[in-house]
Amino acid sequence: MSEVGFLFAGFAVFWAGLFTYLVILQVRIRNLQNQVDILENTIDNPDEI
Amino acid sequence: MTFPTQLEIGIRLFEANLKQAWRDKTNWMTAGMFAITALLLYSFAFNLTGGLVRNLLPGVIWTVFLFSGIFATAQSFQQDRQQGILDALKISPIHPMTIYIAKTLTNILILLLIEFALLLGATILFSEPLFVPQLLLIVTIGTIGYTALSTLLSAINLDRDNGGLLLPVLALPLLVPLLIASVEATSASLQQEASTAPWILLLSLFTIWSAVIATLMFPLAD
Amino acid sequence: MILNNIYELRWKVLPPAAGVAMIGMAALALITAPTEVIEGDVQRLLYVHLPSALASYFAFSITAICSVLFLLKRDFKWDSAAQGAAIVGLIFTLLTLLTGSLWGKPIWGVYWQWDPRITTTLILFLIFSAYLIARKSTSLDSDKSARFSAIYAIIGFLDIPLIHMSVRWWRTLHPQPIIAKLNPSLPDEMLLVTLFSVLAVILVAAWFITLGIETELLSQRLLKLKAIAKANISEKS
Repeated sequence: MSEVGFLFAGFAVFWAGLFTYLVILQVRIRNLQNQVDILENTIDNPDEI
Repeated sequence: MTFPTQLEIGIRLFEANLKQAWRDKTNWMTAGMFAITALLLYSFAFNLTGGLVRNLLPGVIWTVFLFSGIFATAQSFQQDRQQGILDALKISPIHPMTIYIAKTLTNILILLLIEFALLLGATILFSEPLFVPQLLLIVTIGTIGYTALSTLLSAINLDRDNGGLLLPVLALPLLVPLLIASVEATSASLQQEASTAPWILLLSLFTIWSAVIATLMFPLAD
Repeated sequence: MILNNIYELRWKVLPPAAGVAMIGMAALALITAPTEVIEGDVQRLLYVHLPSALASYFAFSITAICSVLFLLKRDFKWDSAAQGAAIVGLIFTLLTLLTGSLWGKPIWGVYWQWDPRITTTLILFLIFSAYLIARKSTSLDSDKSARFSAIYAIIGFLDIPLIHMSVRWWRTLHPQPIIAKLNPSLPDEMLLVTLFSVLAVILVAAWFITLGIETELLSQRLLKLKAIAKANISEKS
């Protein structure tokens, strides 16, 4: 690999890594928030189950 | 509670721990057997019969000591916890540091016995003068250091799901300075170099640091 | 109190600031910064490698501080914060090692050197991986697990300087062929770009840490709610 190739590989790894992690976090937060909302609903309105 | 009283209780706890270890020998014998087996394995793996012995032996010895020591101390508080002794100790006026020091000293004593026995065996196997005062001193100081940390970590009994692998994973990265200093000191001692004394000093500093931090942190574990 | 107010603003401030800064950083690093004479264009990896390392130290410092606060106040939000920060720290440590490798190969000819800093970074990665494994993988009562993990994080963090020192002494005893220094004294333009990159990446790290903390807090809340729901159901039946 040429020198510039390593440069772009390095930047690609860096940016891809950050983006991937960001996406994972956002997805997980959304899932958790959904579950929390459902459970809170269930607890507050027990007769609606 | 005053210090003399704590000291007296500490000594009694130490004796009780020793008795308990004697009654429940399997843990320690397993550690000893592991050490011997590992040493033999290294002999084959690195062909320690040849001229490379002097170079490789310090590393071999200390990895064997560390692994068998950590595996052995992993169950330090197990029986106490199961029999409710630990809870009883916690609500008693005995200071947690006393409990910790008693347990650690027990571990150190037993590990030193295993290690000295191993050194004797290795002296015969490899025809190297390993059972000499300077080396025994290095081994003692190093053992105090790593036992202090691994006993503290063994109080973290998070191990049920992991087959006993968690403690080495936690302890070994923290023990890198100790390992480096021990191996270098041992190596210098075997080759009779002038750098032996500085390395022993360094090892002592790491050991003191480990012991102090572990002793201070143990009460927080409650 | 003031800190609380600042923390409230995090979602409004951090994402746009971090985003803009990162785009600026990319432009500066790849286009504006002058090409280094000896190493060539590959040297531009400095602008991601060094900030990643600093971001990881920043994150792990937060883990250590939150661990201390947890032990003092026994409030689980500090435990969540410590965990959130630790994961971010691990990500940036990994990025540091990877970008370092990719920089090393064209310069030194090898992907890895047993240089004290690099070796210490690897051990740092191991320590905080162990911290997270210990914290997460337990069927024990989470109060104990949190306490013990906090202790481990503090000891681990304090051990880092010692590890660095001991590895350095180890290396000077067993020298390797001389390696090119990663940071020759930087001319002003490069220094500015470096500082800006560090700022940008730390903003990203701060943002990710807040996201991580949010995740952990939600997880804990979920566990509590599940327990309550279970209790309610068994009450009824």
